[in-house]
Amino acid sequence: MWEETFKSHSDSKPNGPSAVSLDFSLPGVEHVYGIPEHADTLRLKTTDNGDPYRLYNLDVFQYELYNPMALYGAVPVMLAHNAQRTTGIFWLNAAETWVDISSNTAGKTVFGKMLDYVQGSSETPQTDVRWISESGIIDVFIMLGPTAKDVFSQYASLTGTQSFPPLSSLAYHQCRWNYNDQEDVKAVDMGFDEHDIPYDFIWLDIEHTDGKRYFTWDPHKFATPKEMLQGLMDKKRKMVAIVDPHIKVDSSYKIHNEIRSRGYYIKNKDGGDYEGWCWPGSAGYPDFTRADMRSWWASMFAYDQYEGSMENLYTWNDMNEPSVFNGPEVTMHKDATHGDWEHRDVHNLYGFYVQMATAEGQIQRSGGVERPFVLTRAFFAGSQRYGAVWTGDNAAEWDHLKISIPMCLSLGLVGISFCGADVGGFFKTPSSELLVRWYQTGAYQPFFRAHAHLDTPRREPWLFGPENTALIREAVRQRYTLLPYWYLQFYHTHRTGEPVMRPLWVEYPQDPATFALDDEFLIGRDLLVHPVTEEGARGVTAYLPGKNEVWFDVNTFQKHNGAQNLYIPVTMNSIPVFQRGGSIIPRKLRVRRSSTCMEHDPYTLYVALNPQRTAEGELYIDDGHTFNYEKKEFVHRRLSFVSNILSSVDLAPDAQFTTPSWIERVVILGASKPSNVTLKTADGQESQLEFDFDSSMSVLTLRKPGMNAGADWTVTLK
Amino acid sequence: MRFHIVIAAVFCCGFADSRKIRGISSSYKRFYRERKSFLCIDGSKIIPFEQVNDDYCDCDDGSDEPGTSACPRGRFYCTNLGFRPHYIPSSRVNDGICDCCDASDEYNSHAHCQNTCWNLGQRERAYVEGQMRTLDEGLQLKQQLIEEGVLLWREKQAQLRELQQAAEDLQIKLEEHRRRKNEAEQTLKALEAGDSGLRHHNNTITSMFQLLDSNKDARITVDELQAKVTVIHDEGRLLSEDEAVALLGGAHQMDLTKFRHTLWDILTKGDRVKIKDTHGSEDSTVGEDSHLKAADRAAKWEATNLKKVEEAYDTVNMEISDLQKKLAIDYGTDWEFLFLNSQCYKLKVYEYTYTLCPFNQVTQENTAGTQVSLGMWGMWAGAPKNHYSQMVYENGEPCWQGGSRSATVTLTCGTETALRSVKEPSKCQYIMDFQTPVACQPVLKQRGIHSEL
Repeated sequence: MWEETFKSHSDSKPNGPSAVSLDFSLPGVEHVYGIPEHADTLRLKTTDNGDPYRLYNLDVFQYELYNPMALYGAVPVMLAHNAQRTTGIFWLNAAETWVDISSNTAGKTVFGKMLDYVQGSSETPQTDVRWISESGIIDVFIMLGPTAKDVFSQYASLTGTQSFPPLSSLAYHQCRWNYNDQEDVKAVDMGFDEHDIPYDFIWLDIEHTDGKRYFTWDPHKFATPKEMLQGLMDKKRKMVAIVDPHIKVDSSYKIHNEIRSRGYYIKNKDGGDYEGWCWPGSAGYPDFTRADMRSWWASMFAYDQYEGSMENLYTWNDMNEPSVFNGPEVTMHKDATHGDWEHRDVHNLYGFYVQMATAEGQIQRSGGVERPFVLTRAFFAGSQRYGAVWTGDNAAEWDHLKISIPMCLSLGLVGISFCGADVGGFFKTPSSELLVRWYQTGAYQPFFRAHAHLDTPRREPWLFGPENTALIREAVRQRYTLLPYWYLQFYHTHRTGEPVMRPLWVEYPQDPATFALDDEFLIGRDLLVHPVTEEGARGVTAYLPGKNEVWFDVNTFQKHNGAQNLYIPVTMNSIPVFQRGGSIIPRKLRVRRSSTCMEHDPYTLYVALNPQRTAEGELYIDDGHTFNYEKKEFVHRRLSFVSNILSSVDLAPDAQFTTPSWIERVVILGASKPSNVTLKTADGQESQLEFDFDSSMSVLTLRKPGMNAGADWTVTLK
Repeated sequence: MRFHIVIAAVFCCGFADSRKIRGISSSYKRFYRERKSFLCIDGSKIIPFEQVNDDYCDCDDGSDEPGTSACPRGRFYCTNLGFRPHYIPSSRVNDGICDCCDASDEYNSHAHCQNTCWNLGQRERAYVEGQMRTLDEGLQLKQQLIEEGVLLWREKQAQLRELQQAAEDLQIKLEEHRRRKNEAEQTLKALEAGDSGLRHHNNTITSMFQLLDSNKDARITVDELQAKVTVIHDEGRLLSEDEAVALLGGAHQMDLTKFRHTLWDILTKGDRVKIKDTHGSEDSTVGEDSHLKAADRAAKWEATNLKKVEEAYDTVNMEISDLQKKLAIDYGTDWEFLFLNSQCYKLKVYEYTYTLCPFNQVTQENTAGTQVSLGMWGMWAGAPKNHYSQMVYENGEPCWQGGSRSATVTLTCGTETALRSVKEPSKCQYIMDFQTPVACQPVLKQRGIHSEL
């Protein structure tokens, strides 16, 4: 009776209409954020004149920008912010959801608002939000803040925090659909060494399998996967191979037979196994909402089940919206069933569970020792607990480079920090300028992976002439020098839920100039990045926030005042990045072939002084890849510079970890010239340090202090 | 004690101790002589000598840390005794991965590196020897192929000349045939032009008269009429004598003049009687005008002949232009690549069979037998120094995403001529490795001899 048709598809709707909806009024609020995933600005727009923002996980072919259309993932969380307060709404519903936004100040100019003010207009700004879900119950959490960081921790208490990724997964990833065979993989690996560009992961897309049967290898092109993986391991590198959730219907395929015989497939409305069309042809879709199915799936990642796998092989879950080529809107029929549930009710959760089961499999295969790394395209609230996400099939266009910033910022605000966009753009072919700019941007975004469509020409970093190779090498090297800082940020988000890549307003909540900024962002609190995203750019204007604050250009060490729009002339070399005065950032400057090669390398501390001549930072060290940090095997130090004394104190005295890494250099920005510098180590020994002072830039460099990075020490400038 | 060590160090070594010397080639040792201070090789800075290889980067050019990983732009020299010395980036020193075969780069790491230089050297020497043999053999084969190429070139030239001669001959013939055809047509036209309707009429009356006059005595008799004429509505019945006499105008015979005015009309326009259908009658009727017929036949004959000659001429000309096109291709300085023309080489890679027909085309065939063009002969595309090291085939079958398939063929030296590998690094862009003796270059050999081994 309630049956509906969409194009050639029909939805039997056995339960009839079941939508739920609720309106929220946000008095005093003009800025709302979140509800990813949309290719839109950071600050959500009012939807009075168009479609609401839609949350319905879909495999969208060549998505449009600045558009409320649904994309691959859905997190029904909205943040509301004004200068006094930040709050959040978590609408816990996994059915297709629409969000309408209206505002009584929308369309009013600044002058209009001033007029209201002068005339004493009584109307306070207000944003109204309507949530509509197709089915399910109303289950809403209001996060009261009052600060953004409170909201992050309140939300984290409901859905968990970002998983703490292996350090290597924060380094550079080289992907392409597809690296054709083992020889190709080897040649690309060699190419990186020949051109002295570091990388940690090389990726294999669907063509590596035997006829799109996941967990298998093409018998000719990838005949000896362990040999290939061993070759990578010898260079301390790793691989990711794709495992999608659509399973080829083929009675000679073990995975299919097992799922079928165990009755783990999602059922169609008539009770038979649901079958759809995807990469392998006819495919079944395992019911990942079942805990028994997930644990069976996890067991398939055991080394003796997943033949050809080794401990340096990790996983990528694509197409998990799920993508069904011949389904309505390229996804599953809503009247398919997961036991008692209709697919309609759980659609937006499917991808979440796929990644959950895969991550669990990776943990289990090492006996619970090793941290997993799983990338997913579809996601839901809580997906942060299982790995990384990327923004799907973007295109090699300048606007797509630009939109990568608000897309990842929006994800970070709702807990998913490990976000990235395909560097270079997936569809189409980037110009070498766009490719370089994208590397320069991607190097400062959490998940840093280059990827390309099968039909595009090759674009490994060295294929665009020596100049561009050098530019890309430099961008990737900058990423590697900052890995200690990135790792620390992920440790933080793992503990607090605060985003790694964050909008400026999170740190400067009372500065309305920051509220809509989405062409620049912060990494943690201390690095401000304004990527160059315009073709042929000669300069960019960055907003440096903070009254009474200063920012140091990380390349030139030039000091700039906060609370100003700063015009920065740029060349192709430039990646405008600033370190906040008052911060201490650890780097490793010996950039090697892979992050693992740099494990025991010494640190250089960049101490950027604020106008009060103080600075503060942290240093976090562990083994980089196991769960032993949960057993307190790590080093976590507070570094502070106060009254001309730089010191390292233990933030976790109950934790134990021994690192061979030492402090090879301290660079103090905004310093004055001391007459002598004394190092005092834990054993009480004192020694004089050599130093170099650049008076033109006020940069003091302490030469080779040499203390262990995990020890207590003080350095006194006199 | 300390004193003794210092003395020993000073006396045993003219240069710095082993720590200082690490990562330096012999030609650079002069920069690292033990002194109080060290001048960065780029001259930018003077540092105390103790700071050389002390695991801290002082010089912008990295020259103070040749043996450690401290400098971002530094390089480390692997001596690799028994193999080939080379530089590695400083970042590969003590990174846990064995880079120098003498293991010198991992002097302070957990990597258990073996000295593999001697083995590598042997393998390299064996390889180089093999390469040299291949080169020698290849060069000999190449010489032969050059000679063959020259012969082939001459042969082709001779063939061209023959064809051109044949074309000339055919040209003459063609003109002759054209002339004859024209003449035959002229004759036919003239005959047709002189042929009035009356004459045709006369001829026809005469010929029918002659047909009826079996004994050719210029008179038609009753017997003769009974033999050749029949009643229209009762075919097969003989005319009675009376009927015959009646047809003859009441007489027993009739001459041509009378026939023309009486019986001719009855036979041709009446509906009572007609000439029996006999072949003889037809033949003699047509055969009557032999001149016209002959002229017509001659004209047709000449036209056919001309067409044949024209076709032959076209064929020969096509062959000439084909051959000229082939000969216009650059087959190398000594025509050494000429023999490849009209050859094809196949290689099966996974599910596809690739066929390279040099100077012609490249194709790909799947197991189902579907053939796809990967490109037609385009040009030589090697670097200026080695122009003949690469071929490009272009404008193959269009690709789904736009553009068309193309293949780049790299020629390498080998003793056999064969397709060695085919790859498709990007969609629709194929690269092939094609081995042949004619790609062997004597230059390579010299380089081999001078290699540091």
